[in-house]
Amino acid sequence: MRLPRLTLTGCISLSFVLWAGNNIPLLAEESPKAVMPDRHQSLLKENCQGCHGPEKQKGKFRVDDLPLHITDLPSAERWQKVLGAMNSGEMPPEDEKQPEAKAKTDFLDDLANVLVTARRALSDQHGVIALRRLNRREYQNTIRALLGVEIDGSALPSDTGGPNFDTVGANLFLTGNQFEQYESLGREALEQAFSAKVAGTVSLKQHLESETLNPVFLKKNKETLAAQEGAKNWIKAVDDAAARPANSATVANLRKIAPSNDALRYHWKKIPGAPSPLEFGFHKSTEVNPAEIYLYREFTEFAPYDQYYLGLPHLDRGAYLTVQTRVGGGNNVTAIQGLAIPPKFPPGEYVVRIRAGATAEAPAERRFLEFGLKGFQGGATPALSTHHITGTLEDPQVIEIPFTFSKQNADRGLRNLFIRERGAADGKHDQRVKEAYKRNGFGPEVALWIDWIEIEKQITPEDAPPAGVRVLDLPLDDKTTDVPRDRVRSAVEGFVREAYRGVPAPEGLLDRLMGLYESRKASGKTHRDALIHSLSTVLSSPRFLYRAEPDANATHRTLSGQELASRLSYFLWGGPPDATLRELADKGELLKPEVLAAQTNRLLQHPNSRHFVRPFLTQWLHLDRIDLFQFNQKRFPQFDDSMKSTVRQEVYETFAHLLHTNGSLGELLRADYVLVNGLLARYYGIEGVSGDGFQKVVLPAGSPRGGLLGMAAIMAMGSNGEHTNPVERGAWVLRKLLNEPPPPAPANVPEIARLAAKALTTRERLQAHQENPQCASCHRKIDPIGFGLENFDATGQWRDTDWYQPVSASGERDPKLRKTWKIDPASAFYKGSAFSNYQEMRDLIATKRRNFANGFCSALIEYALGRPCGFSDEGLIESIVQQSEAKDFSTREFIHALIQSKEFRSK
Amino acid sequence: MNTPLNRRHFLRTSTALIALPVLESLGFRRFASAAQTQSRGPRPKRIIFLGFGWGVTQDSWYPNIAQPGSDYTLPAGLEPLARHKADFSVVQGLLNKYNSNGHYGSTFWLTGANEFGEPGQSFHNTISADQVAGETLGKGARFDSLVLDCGAAALASGHGQGLSLSWDIRGKPMAGPKNPVEAFHRLFAKDTTPLAQQKAMLAQRRSVLDNALENARELQRTLSKTDNSKLDEYFQGIRDIETRLSRDEKWLGVPQPTPPLKEPKPDLAGYEEIKLMYAIMVAALQTDSTRVLTYRQPVSTLLTSLDVRIDSHTMSHYPGKGPEYLEASEKRDHAQSTLLAELLDQLKAVKEPDGSSLFDHTTVAYGSNIRTGHNLDNCPTLLAGRGAGLKLGHNIVVSKDTPLCNAWLTLLKGSGVPVERHGDSTGVLPQLLA
Repeated sequence: MRLPRLTLTGCISLSFVLWAGNNIPLLAEESPKAVMPDRHQSLLKENCQGCHGPEKQKGKFRVDDLPLHITDLPSAERWQKVLGAMNSGEMPPEDEKQPEAKAKTDFLDDLANVLVTARRALSDQHGVIALRRLNRREYQNTIRALLGVEIDGSALPSDTGGPNFDTVGANLFLTGNQFEQYESLGREALEQAFSAKVAGTVSLKQHLESETLNPVFLKKNKETLAAQEGAKNWIKAVDDAAARPANSATVANLRKIAPSNDALRYHWKKIPGAPSPLEFGFHKSTEVNPAEIYLYREFTEFAPYDQYYLGLPHLDRGAYLTVQTRVGGGNNVTAIQGLAIPPKFPPGEYVVRIRAGATAEAPAERRFLEFGLKGFQGGATPALSTHHITGTLEDPQVIEIPFTFSKQNADRGLRNLFIRERGAADGKHDQRVKEAYKRNGFGPEVALWIDWIEIEKQITPEDAPPAGVRVLDLPLDDKTTDVPRDRVRSAVEGFVREAYRGVPAPEGLLDRLMGLYESRKASGKTHRDALIHSLSTVLSSPRFLYRAEPDANATHRTLSGQELASRLSYFLWGGPPDATLRELADKGELLKPEVLAAQTNRLLQHPNSRHFVRPFLTQWLHLDRIDLFQFNQKRFPQFDDSMKSTVRQEVYETFAHLLHTNGSLGELLRADYVLVNGLLARYYGIEGVSGDGFQKVVLPAGSPRGGLLGMAAIMAMGSNGEHTNPVERGAWVLRKLLNEPPPPAPANVPEIARLAAKALTTRERLQAHQENPQCASCHRKIDPIGFGLENFDATGQWRDTDWYQPVSASGERDPKLRKTWKIDPASAFYKGSAFSNYQEMRDLIATKRRNFANGFCSALIEYALGRPCGFSDEGLIESIVQQSEAKDFSTREFIHALIQSKEFRSK
Repeated sequence: MNTPLNRRHFLRTSTALIALPVLESLGFRRFASAAQTQSRGPRPKRIIFLGFGWGVTQDSWYPNIAQPGSDYTLPAGLEPLARHKADFSVVQGLLNKYNSNGHYGSTFWLTGANEFGEPGQSFHNTISADQVAGETLGKGARFDSLVLDCGAAALASGHGQGLSLSWDIRGKPMAGPKNPVEAFHRLFAKDTTPLAQQKAMLAQRRSVLDNALENARELQRTLSKTDNSKLDEYFQGIRDIETRLSRDEKWLGVPQPTPPLKEPKPDLAGYEEIKLMYAIMVAALQTDSTRVLTYRQPVSTLLTSLDVRIDSHTMSHYPGKGPEYLEASEKRDHAQSTLLAELLDQLKAVKEPDGSSLFDHTTVAYGSNIRTGHNLDNCPTLLAGRGAGLKLGHNIVVSKDTPLCNAWLTLLKGSGVPVERHGDSTGVLPQLLA
C-alpha cells in the first residue's frame, strides 16, 4: 500500500528552476528544497499572467518572474500572496477564466506545502540553541529540589501554547515584571524553607476517626426533624386561627393582598389567635418572613433519608458517604470542618490515607471515590484523583493518596479535603436523588463506608533537608541578631554553588551578597531577614534563571561535565542534577559514554522522570486540547472529570511503560494490550481489573483498543465535547502518527454555509470539501482518516451508529428531522490503500513505523535541545532513527541515541 | 493608620499582591496629584485597545457596506450600542496583510508584523500600537501603559501567541494583570509607609538592581553573541525597573487618593469578569494612573458564563454547522456589544476637572484580527471616543485590504503621538478623520 506523501520527491532534482529572465543565485545545497513543481507553471501562465505579467502588472504584482525555488523571504511573501488570493477566492476574479478544479487543487496543495518547507528552511537555526531560561515548570522543580518547597508559579508565564515546546530558548522571554516575580517567589521560597527548617522534622499528621462525625450528624438530624414538625404545627395553628368565623372579615380583607394560604401566613400577626413561629422553635427572623419555615415543610424527603442512615450498621466504627441533603448539611463526612489540612501545615508533598470499604450491595459503578480540596468559603479544586474501592466493611482497604498541597491552593484557602463518591458533585446528582426517592421512599442507598482518614506531610529522608537548606549551617530563626561574618560568608558560598548547579560563585559575587546582607542588617533588620534579602538575589540572578553554557568564541565545543549533567537532568527530570550526577560530572566520569548511558537509565527509572513524560507527551500530542471544551454530561455521563484525567493518565502510563520496559515505539501505533486501572477498565468494558494502579492487560482479538488511536483521550481530543471532529482527528493522525503534517489552516477560505440546517450524515457534510479546490487540496488527505475513526464517539467509546438533529429556523429541535445512520468507516488514504473499517486503517498506519519514528524523533530533539528541529537536523534524525530501528524501534534507544549524539553533548 | 514598613513593599507583581493583600504600592499617591496638577491645562489623551480573539458573526455584526456614512442601519450584533450610535464608527476593509494564521486573533492585531520576517527565527513580532502610544502619552502618569489579560482563558479565545495584546519595543510579548483582582492591586494597593523609610527602601532597591546587573555583566563576558542577545532581555528588564524607580522617586510624598471602586471579588469569569475589568480600566483613567490600556478579553469563559456549552473554536466556525452554533456566535456578539456600551456609558459619565468627560479625551479601539472562522480580512474594527479627532457615527468603508496599521497610525497621530509609520502602514486614513 501507499500512504500519501507530502514531500516533494518529484521536484528534488529541480534544484534550480527559474522563470526566464530571473537571476537569483543558488543557495548552498540543502535538503529538501522548497521548490514549486514545474507543472504548475501552466496554471499561472494561463490564469494569472494576463493581468500579472510583464505587460499589465496589475496591483504591481507579477507572477511571471516568481522563482520556483523559494530561497528567500521576499519570494516566500510573494508566493504567500498568491496562495492567499487563491484560497480566499479573490483570484482569479469571478468574471475571468477559472483553472480546472483538479489542477487548482493540486496547485494549492503543492504551494501550501512548499511554503511550509520554505518557512522551515528559512527559519532554520542551524543547530544554534538560544540561551535557555528555566521555563515555569523547570523553575518550580528547581526550587523544590533546592529548597524543598512548593511555590505558586501561576504568576509566571506558562511558556506553553506557542508553536514550539516550552523548552525552546528563543521563545522563553524575560521582562522586568517577570524579574520582580522571580524576586518575590524566591523570597517566599526562602521564607518557607527557613520556617520549615526551624520547625524541624516533626511529623505533621492529622488523624480522624469518622465515627466521631456521627453524633454531629445525629444532632443535625434531630434538629431537622424537629424543624419539620414545628413547620407543620405552626402552619396548622395559623390556618386554624384564620378559619375561625370571628376572623372571617379580617381574613377576607387580607386575602385581597395575599390570595394564597402561604402568602396569608406572612400576615399572621393581624389574625387574632395566630401564634408566633418563636413558639415552635424558629428564629426571630421567621416572624417577619416565614420562608424558612416553608423550606423545612418542603424538604421533608430528607427526613426518611436521615432515618435510613441512622439505622445502618457499623456507625459505631465509621461513617458512610452520603448525598448532600439541602437542609442542615447532611451527614456527608466532607461537610465536617475538622476534615482539613490544619493551618500550621505548610504547602508541600502530602499523603492522605483513607481506610474505606464498599457495602455488599454497592453496584460496581458506585465503587469509586473522588478526592480533592475545597475551601471553607467556597471554591474547590476539581477531583485531584479517583480511587477504586475494592475493600468491604468487614475487610476495608487503606488507600494512599500522595498529592501536592500547592502554594496556590494554600493561598486560596483550599484546605478542606473532599472525599466523595464519584459523580456526587456533577450535574446529574439531583436527578439520581429524585429517582431513588421515587423508587425506595428515602433516597440513594449508601455505597461507600469510611473508617478513618489521615493527613500526613511527607518527609522523604533522601532530600531532607534539601541541598540548598543543608548548606546553610546557620541559625535561621527570626530572633538571632548576630552571626559571625565568616560563617555567613561560607554558608552563602555553599548556597550559591547549589543554586548555580555546581558552578562556584564568580569573583566579586560573594562580596556583593555580603554587602547586601550587611546593609540590610544596618537598617535594623534581623539576621534572618538580611540573609533572605541577600540570598533571594541569587534566585533572581541570570546564572540561576538561565542554563548558561558559556562560550565566548561561539564555536561548537564539547560540554563540560557539569553542563552535560544539567542538560541531562533538565531533559529527563525537568529539574537540576542531583548529587550523584554532580559528583560524576566533577570527576569527569559523566563524559564517558557508558557512564552517561547508565545515568540515562537511572534517571529514566526514577520517579522524577514523570517530569519528562508528562510535559513531553502533553505538548507533543497536544493533549491539552481535551480541556478546551466541556463534555456534554447528559449525553456522556461516564465521561466526567475523573474519567477525563484517567484517560489522560493512560497516555502517560503507556509511554512510561514503554520507557521502563524498553518496548517498541511501534506499540503506540498498534498493541495487543492496554494499560488500565479499575476505572478505565470499566470504561473500556474490560473485565477483571481493579484498583487504582495501571496494569497491563492483554486484549482479545479484534479489540479496537491498543495503541494511541484506541485511547479515549486521543479520540476525545478530536471532538468538541458533543460531536466527533473527523477533520481534527485526520489532521492529528497526519501530524503525529504519519509525520506528514498538513499545512496550517489557511486564512480566508470561504466557509460552506449552505448545509447548515440540513439533516445530513457527517460524511455527507464533509463531502462538500471535495467540491471546492481550496478545501479539497488539504481535505482529500485529512477527511478519509477521520471517516475511519468515526466508530469512536466524542468520548472515545465504540459505536455503530451516529445521529444528527438539525435545529429548525425557530430554534427548536424537530424530532422529525432527526437522522440516524450506520457508521461507514470505509475509505482510502489519498493516493493510497483502501480500508473497510477502523482496524484495517489502524493496521495500515501501524506499518508506517518509520514515519512515526521520524516525527517522534524530531519532537524529542526539539524538546531536549531547546531549539526548533530544522532541516539541518535531518542527519541527526536519520542516525537516531536508524539506531533505534536496528533494535525494533525500542523506545529508550531513541533517548540513548540522542543523548550520546554530538549535538546533545556539545554547545 | 500606619502599617509597619514592609520589606515586600516594592513589589508590584501580581503574585506578590495576591499573596499579600495588604501590600503597599509605592507611588500610587500620584494619581490625585496628577489629576490636580493638570486640572487647568489641556486634558491628556487616552487610548484603550480591546481585543476579542475569535472575530464576529459575519451577517449580523457588520453594517451593510452599501450604506456607508452616518445613515446606516445598525445591525443586530451592534444593537446594544444603539444609544451610542452617533459616538462610534465601524471601519470596514482593513487587513493585516502578513498575518496568515487563522487562529491568531490578537498576536499581530496591533503590530502588523510579519511572523516570518526575521531569517533564522521561527517567530517574529514588532512593537504594538499601544506601546508606541505609551511612550508619548504615558509620560506624567503612574504607568506608561497598563496591559491587561485574561490568563488561562486566553488559550481557547482565539488570541494566538503572546501574553497580552501588547508587544514591547523589541517585539517581545508583554504580560500584565490576568484578572480584575490583580489589576485592582496593581493600580490601587495602598501605601502608608513613612517618607523617610520609602527613601531608604528606594536606595536598597537600587543596590539590589545594581547587584543583578553586575551578575548579568559577569555572565555576559563569557557568553557567545547569540546567547548575549537573549541575555539582553534580562538587562532590559532591569533597566525598565530602574526607569520606573526614577519615576517613583519623583512622586514620593504625594498623598494618595481612594480608588473609585471596591476591591473586586475573586473567581469571577466571563461576562462579569469583563464588566469588572472595564470598570477598573475607567478607574485607572479617572485617577490618571495610566493613559494607555490594552485588554485581551476572555471569549471562552464569556461563552460559558452565557450558558453556551459550545466550545469557542467550533463556535467561530459556525457557517456550515447547526443553527445553534450561529446562535452562540450571535449571543457572543450581543454580550460583547452590551459590555462595550456600558464602558462607553462610563467614559461619558466620568467628568474631567474642566467639565468635559473622559469620553472627550479617549479613543476606544475594539476589534480582532480574525473576521469569522479563519478569515483574516475586513478585520472587525470599531472606534469610539473623541480623543483622536476621529469621525464618529459613521459606517466607514475604506478600500478593500487597506492596512489595519493605517488605522492605528491615524489614531496615534490624532492622539498627538509623533509617529510617521507603524507596522506595515502606508499613511493615515483621511476617511477616518472628522
